Amino acid sequence: MAIGSAIVRVPKEAKKGEVVRIQMVITHPMESGGRRDPQTGQTIPAYHLTKLEIFFNNNLLTAIDMGGGLSANPFVGITMKAEQSGVIKIVYQDNKDGKWERTAEVNVT
Amino acid sequence: MDRRKFLLLSAVAVASFTVAPHLSFGASRIEEDIQKRLGVSLSQIKESPEVKLQAPTIAESGANVPISVESDIPIEKVDSLWIFVDNNGTPWVTTVKFTPMNGKVYFATRIKMRESSNVRAILKLKDGSYVMATKEVKVTAGGCG
Repeated sequence: MAIGSAIVRVPKEAKKGEVVRIQMVITHPMESGGRRDPQTGQTIPAYHLTKLEIFFNNNLLTAIDMGGGLSANPFVGITMKAEQSGVIKIVYQDNKDGKWERTAEVNVT
Repeated sequence: MDRRKFLLLSAVAVASFTVAPHLSFGASRIEEDIQKRLGVSLSQIKESPEVKLQAPTIAESGANVPISVESDIPIEKVDSLWIFVDNNGTPWVTTVKFTPMNGKVYFATRIKMRESSNVRAILKLKDGSYVMATKEVKVTAGGCG
């Protein structure tokens, strides 16, 4: 998958007041900048996500700062107290001006 | 484990043993990093069973170590979660800023580990104090190259 693509997983339906898990995987090499190419001896330049923000109905739910310490194609899981139906939006950017967003819907009954 | 792997592993073990002592000279990398980012010294942060850090005891690959952090401390009292790996080139891994909408303290991810090390999950509470959980993870193949 292309760099910057992502899968966001939320429960299709949640009960009001339930604490639900929201999980995401973003395609990104997460190169820390501390690694050398074994063939050439050259340092591999840093190329990683720096920020991931998760919104619910445009209110900030969680803000995550990250560096090259997360694994390639980082996985993130958080929770949310489901009070109403709405849209989860994740916005993420890297250290080379890449910026993307993805959305997923949650139905609260 | 075949012979080649065993020899490689023992070479790594000997190398890390001989390299390690110079780290204990002065403040270690983890102490400096925590001081710089949190503004408190590591020795002032107390371990608490209220922070539950899950990580494997032995990680097959340091490139991909699953960890999760949970706590029963009410989310309204918690500001942020900080994750560090003592022996990585850059110990700081991630900072997670919670909001009351999260409902509870929970965070899961996968981290890189260059070698066997302590993993630390530090919760910054809104009253300005810190609580920590530490777990040692043995890595059989490093993940930072």
